[in-house]
Amino acid sequence: MNLREIATKCSKCGYCMTCPTYRIEGWETVSPRGKIQLALKYLNGDIEIDQKVAKDIFKCSVCGLCQEVCPVGIPLIDFWEELRRELVQKGMAPLSVHRKLREITFRNYNPYSGDQERRGEWADFEIKPAKTLYFAGCTASFRLQNLAKSTASALNKLGIDFTIAGKNEYCCGSPFLRTGQKDIVEKLFEKNFRYWQRAGIERIITSCPGCYRTLSLDYPKIAEEKGYEFDIEVIHTVTILDKFGVFEKADIAAKATYHDPCHLGRHMGMYEEPRNIIKKLGIDFVEMERNREQALCCGAGGGLRSQFPEISFEIGRQRVLEAMETGAKYLITCCPFCEYHLSKSAEKLGNKIKVVDLVEIAEKLISP
Amino acid sequence: MDSVILELSHSIKRVDTHPLQRVLYSQDLLKIPKFLERFVKHPICVVQPESDEEVRAVLKISRKYGIPVVPRGAATSAYGGAVTIKPCIVVDFTRMRKIEIAGKKAVVESGAVWLDVEKELNRHGLALRVYPSSAPAGTVGGWIAQGGYGIGSLKYGGIGKNIEWLEVADFDGIKKVGGDELKNYVGLFGTTGLILRACLKLRDNVRIDSVAIKTDFAKSIDLLDGAYHGVFVNRELAKMLGFNEADLLLLSYEGEAEKEGDKELGSRMWENRFNLFRAGREREVVFTEAILPYETAPDFLSTVDIPVEAVFTKDNVVFLGFIPVGNYYRAALKAIKFIKIAEKFGGRTYATGMLFPHKGLADYAGSYKKAIDPDSLLNPGKAVEGNSFSRMIKLAEMIV
Repeated sequence: MNLREIATKCSKCGYCMTCPTYRIEGWETVSPRGKIQLALKYLNGDIEIDQKVAKDIFKCSVCGLCQEVCPVGIPLIDFWEELRRELVQKGMAPLSVHRKLREITFRNYNPYSGDQERRGEWADFEIKPAKTLYFAGCTASFRLQNLAKSTASALNKLGIDFTIAGKNEYCCGSPFLRTGQKDIVEKLFEKNFRYWQRAGIERIITSCPGCYRTLSLDYPKIAEEKGYEFDIEVIHTVTILDKFGVFEKADIAAKATYHDPCHLGRHMGMYEEPRNIIKKLGIDFVEMERNREQALCCGAGGGLRSQFPEISFEIGRQRVLEAMETGAKYLITCCPFCEYHLSKSAEKLGNKIKVVDLVEIAEKLISP
Repeated sequence: MDSVILELSHSIKRVDTHPLQRVLYSQDLLKIPKFLERFVKHPICVVQPESDEEVRAVLKISRKYGIPVVPRGAATSAYGGAVTIKPCIVVDFTRMRKIEIAGKKAVVESGAVWLDVEKELNRHGLALRVYPSSAPAGTVGGWIAQGGYGIGSLKYGGIGKNIEWLEVADFDGIKKVGGDELKNYVGLFGTTGLILRACLKLRDNVRIDSVAIKTDFAKSIDLLDGAYHGVFVNRELAKMLGFNEADLLLLSYEGEAEKEGDKELGSRMWENRFNLFRAGREREVVFTEAILPYETAPDFLSTVDIPVEAVFTKDNVVFLGFIPVGNYYRAALKAIKFIKIAEKFGGRTYATGMLFPHKGLADYAGSYKKAIDPDSLLNPGKAVEGNSFSRMIKLAEMIV
């Protein structure tokens, strides 16, 4: 990617100032437009970027809303990731917390300091070899194990023959790709990919949109760079549930709304599958004002939550408030990272809305 | 300068002096060629007032130290109105964005984004009469300061006709202006006072129904009766925007469309009314604008061979030309030529800003400016005063 060539395309129209982080921070150095202009000047050798501005460049959840609204079609998601990589190479990043998470992941193969040996402990069933792998991801393995259990149960109920990698599952590297730290991702890729090859994996199902994006979009690129053939189909759980799920009607009288995870929606273009499932479940559904391509981010992604928790929780607060405005009692999502962050944000607002994962609801209602 | 910054920091919560912040706040949508960049002077700092008191404090410090202030909205205009050409304080209004609705009027702070205002009004069954095609980013104060026409101007006229009153700040304090006095602020780029808030005239939020009609420009003029919004797009621009490759007229109505036409295409064109920048997707374009009377508009258009959009208004026709950039300077000269041709047909440039003060559009306000701002501290070198850029353009006009 030629950052300079891409930055030159910016018309400075300012439509990207709908960026949730900019709307909170308010300074041009935080706006996508401002960052692009600074990147251009930096790449032209007109300015030097200092630590303050490097930090501002990382004030972004890489949610992709700027890319969505950009009228001249600048591929901004890739642009931010590449720009962050450039800053890492020039020694201005990783920022302190991102660096710490990297160190933890180098040691533990996950950013939660979880014991890798116990990674698959959530599995309450016998693990048998299969060509389909359920890749739970770090958050479901160490923080939201109910999601991992529900997904496995759903796959069982749907008659899908699958296995899990347990201690041989390593962080996919998504948080590090989003924060410009590609070297560790290459290491994680090697660990995961070698195991998949040894185990003869042909298909991966994941319940985490961050993993889904990384395994289906980024891993094939890394494989190509390394001269490997990446011939593995990657699927998110909602696709399976939408395609094969037959459900009993949910016994939920209260209204529910749905939050589009950025990595599933804007990054991967998957908007209708979760809604189809919600419809099949017979849930009284209401959309938030900003939905699908225009959805507000939960605020957690792109390293924002770890490095800039105040901004991240302010975005989370705004999203939960938007959900509450619909009158919904349940906020459904299908991303463990969004679920975790929105739950914490809802907690700060007095738990007036319950954040739930779609897979956890759907699993209970799969018709036998 | 240190004492200015110190005093500002004591009076205003949000002040930034970072060198790169100052670089970003020295520019707006206008692309300035490298050799002209030396005429741009970085501001000494950027302030983001959150209240009238903070604006008052900035003006007090500005006068005390004789340092200019340059007001700024979203900087989405290409006339250089927000470009800083003297060391100054940039007053960014984006933190003043309150919207208050009372009856059929809305009092909106300067930094509110037009599309946010529209969405808020829609929740109350109301809608803006007019708004700019840059509504997703453009601010209320920014567009009023530039003046001009936009969506809905066919029925309701320019922004100036849709303001009940303005509250403006100058060195004597804050005042409310309305009626004939509005002309001293609308279109003057903040050179006579900083716009704090506007009371906007509204309409009921009646559903907009649109049709697209394949027709030429001259015939389009006869089809405008009864429409809320009317735009002609020539075939070259229609192609760039991804519509049919034909001359197209978009007619939008408050309520049921009164003319026969392609509803699907009409609705698509209406939905894309903010997406003119898409014309620059494949190749960079330079924008140029001119206003013409209805009588000569067809003859003007017949002499122009570039992608063009014509916005029909209550008073005249606003032409927006898109010049594909091969060589930037050649494109810039073509943009100037577009305006010169318009002048031959009795037209004029769309706005003044930093580029066209020499056109005399705001000359009527010269004495008012002198009385209000004798030291020329309010956005100096814009609208009513010349500057290095406008002198260069004047020279270029002689060449084309």
